[in-house]
Amino acid sequence: MSRIGMRMVTVLLLCGLAAPLGASAQGQMITLGSLNDTTGPTSDVGREVALGIREAIQYVNDTGAVNGKPIRLRQYDYGYRIPEALTTYKRFRDFDKAVAVLGWGTGDTEALAPTVAKDQLPYLSSSWSNFLTDPKKTPFNFIYGPDYSNYARAGLQAWFDEVWMKDPRYTADRGRGVRPRLVAFFAFPVPYASAPIRALKDQAAILGFEVGPDQDIPLTALDVKSQVLAAKEFRPHVVWHGNIPMSVSTALRDAHALDLGADHIINSWGCDENLIRIAGPASERAICNIPFVIWGEASPLTPKIMEYAAKVNPGLPAARRSVRTVHAWQQTLMMVEALKRADQAGKLNGPGIREAFYTFKDWTVGLAPPFTITPDDHRPTSVFPIRIIRGGKLEPLTRIDLRAKYPDRWPRWIGN
Amino acid sequence: MRLLPSGTYHETYWTDHALWQWRTGFVTFALAAGLVLLLYVLPWRGSGYLLGVANVVGYTVLSALGVQLLIGYCGQVTLGHAAFIAVGAYGTGIGILHYGLPYPVALLIGALLAGLWSVLFGLPSARTKGFYLIMTTMAAQFVTVDFIIAQYVSKIGGRGVAFSLPPGTIRMGPAVIDSEREVYYLMLALVTLCTVALVNLFRTRVGRAWIAIRDNDIAAEALGVNIFTYKLLAFFTAGVLGGLAGGFWVSATYGLTPEDYTLAWSLWLVGVILIGGVGSLHGVFFGALFLTGVLEVLKAGVFRVADVYPMLADRFLFIKEMTFGLAIIGFLLYEPRGLAYRWHQIKNYFKLWPFGY
Repeated sequence: MSRIGMRMVTVLLLCGLAAPLGASAQGQMITLGSLNDTTGPTSDVGREVALGIREAIQYVNDTGAVNGKPIRLRQYDYGYRIPEALTTYKRFRDFDKAVAVLGWGTGDTEALAPTVAKDQLPYLSSSWSNFLTDPKKTPFNFIYGPDYSNYARAGLQAWFDEVWMKDPRYTADRGRGVRPRLVAFFAFPVPYASAPIRALKDQAAILGFEVGPDQDIPLTALDVKSQVLAAKEFRPHVVWHGNIPMSVSTALRDAHALDLGADHIINSWGCDENLIRIAGPASERAICNIPFVIWGEASPLTPKIMEYAAKVNPGLPAARRSVRTVHAWQQTLMMVEALKRADQAGKLNGPGIREAFYTFKDWTVGLAPPFTITPDDHRPTSVFPIRIIRGGKLEPLTRIDLRAKYPDRWPRWIGN
Repeated sequence: MRLLPSGTYHETYWTDHALWQWRTGFVTFALAAGLVLLLYVLPWRGSGYLLGVANVVGYTVLSALGVQLLIGYCGQVTLGHAAFIAVGAYGTGIGILHYGLPYPVALLIGALLAGLWSVLFGLPSARTKGFYLIMTTMAAQFVTVDFIIAQYVSKIGGRGVAFSLPPGTIRMGPAVIDSEREVYYLMLALVTLCTVALVNLFRTRVGRAWIAIRDNDIAAEALGVNIFTYKLLAFFTAGVLGGLAGGFWVSATYGLTPEDYTLAWSLWLVGVILIGGVGSLHGVFFGALFLTGVLEVLKAGVFRVADVYPMLADRFLFIKEMTFGLAIIGFLLYEPRGLAYRWHQIKNYFKLWPFGY
């Protein structure tokens, strides 16, 4: 490199180093940290959520902010690397003085949970792992959707009630007393994917299923024919998909191509409009655990969601949007609601925000079932909306209320 | 080769073999200042964030030491080192939770397990070299993390693949390790211990045998070095170092998840020694500091830009990643021998100063 070039690089590097030192604090602003994955293995859903959070924050700041105090969003792409999530979280805590954090993956959220509890910093994660819902273990972790484990139970229950018991395809099997057969497709080493498996198998035992061998499918799988063939020997009636759309669509297409002949139930982050776009007819009749209204579906907030999507991030047009934008709005608005309530109580700090979450009683903005959070149960809801893909559309299938269905077991289905 | 000032000669074998052959007042002062900085200023005056970053640097150093030993000193390219870190971490974690062992004991057992596990995957090195060895070490990654840990280890105690340890279970004697500062001191102790051990190991018969194998294995064998034994010894030592890194990381997170030990982390560690300098212990430190530091500096930059152009923030999230890639390419183009070589040159420049040769 020439001497001048070297000097320019040095000057640029020094500017980069000096930049953070020049950052000055602005009064009356509330800093909110947000960990997102826009470039890592979960970026196929993570990117839209990251954009959606920014849009929702813009909306909140435009409509009165947190009792007049605007929110400063510190959003960071950690690429699904846990060490980077840890240092970024500490940066949010010590350097940016964030009052709360919006989190992302199951692995990093669970890894951060002990630290979060010690720091008393409320953490609202996109991971809805059931592990994070027991306040005795994770007192400062909150989730903004139905927890994975019970949602898996609800999905299986919905298939059992609505398909197995009603569909004429299974009349003959039911008449002969055949037990329904279930196989789980998920990425073994990924906590998000493996989190609900134990609950799923427990529910399968309750409903009298036969459970076949699990199949390991990486999050970035491009070919799962060998797994589908291995599952085919078991002749499953239904397959659980625990991954994200990129890998679920591959599994659906290969299952379709190899004529697996089973129905599908898909985990919360595995099914969206993009799945239908990629998998096409192979996704037909798949049951989806989607708790929110989907993109463009009628709700009080839908016009605002669409308006801000077009205004803030026109780069991702409406035609390519999905329910993930709604995820982001639900996450942001739930956190903002807690901030508002904490601020009204004059306690805009960690314990204060936690107390504010405990005042949520049948709270909703119309995007999801009503949420109730109590000091001994962080599961936001016991009502699980289930959808099914029919004619390339995500149609509502049923709503399973697990508390009503299993009143004696529901209190035990927490924190694992 | 070490440079001595004109007129300074060794008079005993001891001085000839000493780690520091001669020392000026300035160097003594710099070392003392560095010690004060590391032992007092950083942990007691720095923020938790700074300590968190320091701990990640330390974790990266501990993890990369084994990679440096295998690639830089023994010539055995490995792309599966995260597997051995995972064995150490899970060994330590399960030792504490399931068998109720004290942390130091669990840490040692985890490290030994990782060493033995590493020997197992070092066995193919008897017959394979180069790309083929890379494939077998990559197999270690998938066999260990994706298969054995996810399928079998997760069954122990019915905990699943990811779990956390109850607060206060990690203690060194009377001290509970549960804040960044305590983790930092533990990290400092482990890094010092491992580095001193390796520096000295490389000066012994074993270390020289490894270097001989790296430079030319056939010549080394002809000279009577038992290649197979020494290669396995290298894998064992690297595995133990990896296991220590994994066991240490448990203390920093109080949790275990296979997502910590992916192939990406194995590749990252190779990146650390490539940028730092292959075949140099200094390189491990420079590489770890650079790769962790650059991310934090870029993070600060991204946030700064987001303040000025809030609408553009999303787009700048990508720029961080791109700049990072650019930095690596820049290194390969303009500093292929790593940061350690530049450090060597700077040191020599000052030693020779005011002469230019």
